[in-house]
Amino acid sequence: MSGNNGFEPRILAYVCNWCTYLGADLAGTARLEYPPNVRIVRLPCTGRIDTNLVVKAFELGADAVLVSGCHPGDCHYTAGNYHARRRWMLFRSLLETIGFDMRRLHFTWISAAEGKKFQQVITEITEQTRELGPYHPYQATPRVEAIDAPAPAPAPADHWTAAEQKLRATAARLLSDGTVKVVIGYGARGPVFITRPEDAAQLVWNVTCLANLATYLKRKEVRALGRPAIVVKGCDERALVQLEKESQLGRAGIYVIGMACGGAGQPKCAACDTRQPRFADETIGTAEATVTPEGDRYAVVERILQMAPEERLSFWTAEFDRCVKCYACRQVCPLCYCERCLVDKNRPQAISTAPDRMGSFAWHIARAMHLAGRCVGCDECTRACPEGIDLRLLNLTLARVAEKELGYRAGMDPMAEPPVGAFAIQDQEDFIR
Amino acid sequence: MSGAISREDLRTMVAGWIEAGKRVIGPVGIKPGLIEFAPLASAEAVRLDGWEQPSNSIKEAVFPRHEALYGYRIEQNRVELTGAPETVPEQIVVGAHPCQAASLPILDKVFNWDFQDEFYNRRRAATTVISLACSSHDDACFCTSVGLGPAAEKGSDAMLYELGDERYAIRVFTDKGRALFGDGAGTPPQVAGAPEARFDAAQVGAFAHDHFDAPFWREHTLACLGCGACAYTCPVCHCFDIADERRGNTGVRARNWDACQFPQFTLHASGHNPRPAQGDRQRQRIYHKFFLYPEKFGEILCTGCGNCARNCPVGLGVLPVVSEICDAQPV
Repeated sequence: MSGNNGFEPRILAYVCNWCTYLGADLAGTARLEYPPNVRIVRLPCTGRIDTNLVVKAFELGADAVLVSGCHPGDCHYTAGNYHARRRWMLFRSLLETIGFDMRRLHFTWISAAEGKKFQQVITEITEQTRELGPYHPYQATPRVEAIDAPAPAPAPADHWTAAEQKLRATAARLLSDGTVKVVIGYGARGPVFITRPEDAAQLVWNVTCLANLATYLKRKEVRALGRPAIVVKGCDERALVQLEKESQLGRAGIYVIGMACGGAGQPKCAACDTRQPRFADETIGTAEATVTPEGDRYAVVERILQMAPEERLSFWTAEFDRCVKCYACRQVCPLCYCERCLVDKNRPQAISTAPDRMGSFAWHIARAMHLAGRCVGCDECTRACPEGIDLRLLNLTLARVAEKELGYRAGMDPMAEPPVGAFAIQDQEDFIR
Repeated sequence: MSGAISREDLRTMVAGWIEAGKRVIGPVGIKPGLIEFAPLASAEAVRLDGWEQPSNSIKEAVFPRHEALYGYRIEQNRVELTGAPETVPEQIVVGAHPCQAASLPILDKVFNWDFQDEFYNRRRAATTVISLACSSHDDACFCTSVGLGPAAEKGSDAMLYELGDERYAIRVFTDKGRALFGDGAGTPPQVAGAPEARFDAAQVGAFAHDHFDAPFWREHTLACLGCGACAYTCPVCHCFDIADERRGNTGVRARNWDACQFPQFTLHASGHNPRPAQGDRQRQRIYHKFFLYPEKFGEILCTGCGNCARNCPVGLGVLPVVSEICDAQPV
């Protein structure tokens, strides 16, 4: 055995049953020799390979991972590989932002006839990984860095007070005329659920009104109150659009009170172009329309990508090492509506519940991936985190790819096709061999 | 040593402790707007002013969020247990407010009740707490409502009192404190800035007990989203889960923090959940702190630090919920 002090890499290959597995089989029957470093895991289709499996492989000691399936057009299930290709693109962008060593993750198309290609690919990956040496996931010296630009100042007090009276009057009216049973709005301390017109005076509208109340529409205790009116800012409203697209709410079943917003003093406000609600049943106030160039929206992601991968990893280890797994990020998220989260499934335990480095990386990668192309950028996860983890940067990373490569911004256009769950023949595949 | 010390001299002492291999934990500015208790890389890192309360608690010094109880290795048909409990370094917590220090004697009881928790006890025995008396408070503070105060001595081995001009009076309460500061018989200044009492803790406990099934709980905690931010930043919440974390042929049996606000916390294998609604889980949090724990251990399971309210993304927490009990006296 050669190279790197006799180190022999362990390579895990997730392959589809119909093409690459048969390609590997052909390599065997044709007596094409390839290194014994690869362990093959056969799955029905690349479309069925959860990115979590890749994370898991590295956790369990793989030095490199290969994911391989049928060439475009060859999928046994018609389009599984097209769906996979899109997810891989998103997944790779996430790993790049995190500072993952991308030389250890490979994607190929290998058909049942390409025994020779299988042999070549495995040989090359083995040699390359042997050069790289053993892999220890997420090893870095944590370094805290302020990457995000300071948040802009919020709108002045009079901007808010002018709308507050109107909001209370609207809420009282909707409750008295029976349009709705409950108004979900902001009180002095946090979200309130107003069910009687005389309590409408408890509603406030000021710079503390940050929570995205759309998240309450998923809670059964709140649903039980009857038809709701919900107070939303333009940014919060995007969650309603996305939830409706995902069949999580019937728009007719809710009454939307839109609040024009002059900026709430959050980092997201700097590049906001949804200050005026667009689909509300009733909008209070007007906000100056802002047009934000696409570049501004993702400037902070560009800044991360300019850092060296090791620096990025140092930054994220500092962030994730603080994670206590309180799941505030998940609970406040309007788009996290699963009855039982993947991390709460323990037969088997798909994602470690441990708040150690490996477990925290696994959780945050899975969380971000599950929101890929779905996150509406309300930044509630970041606001809720008691440890101040800059989760918005992960969400923005994926939103950037969704917009740049797939032309989609979650929650903007009710008619647009969601990027995950769809595909295009011409999707990017320059990273697939 | 005399009964007063300058901040510079204190830093020199901290540097000496770090030099001597002790783990010194204190408030650290992590990033703008975020102060946390964390092990100090250097004496310069400790921040003794400019904050009311770090966003986490000192319980992690004695009860880490993730602690391996033992390891195992599976080979052929054998399971080999590995990793005798590691020895813990001597650690000094510096600059914690009295509400944080007071958490340790409260935790001592539950970790030594029917079972002596060696993991907790080992860390606890190796820990010295030098607290910092409060000179101000914010809206979330309510130590005086749970029998403590801005200079309460409970749980502290020594206490620093701000004298102004970056000088501190020192008082020493225990041998651990004496080992660091000698007799340190300083004359503490009159401590100002106590939050006024906000509620009667006994009344809260009685209410929770008498109104166990009252609609109050579900109605007044509708905003709760069921995360663990309150419990994980609370200095006295101490629930944990035991998990086998297997990676390949090796693994650890570890305990990880857990919180009663998660639906899964009480989910039975049968699918039955005795606390099916979020309101039931909020009730549990108050009930445990103000009735169950006092009944069993004679202490309120709350030090009034206010971390739950500061860290709650939707404005709940002990004080907001308890205030509603006391102000509204719902039935």
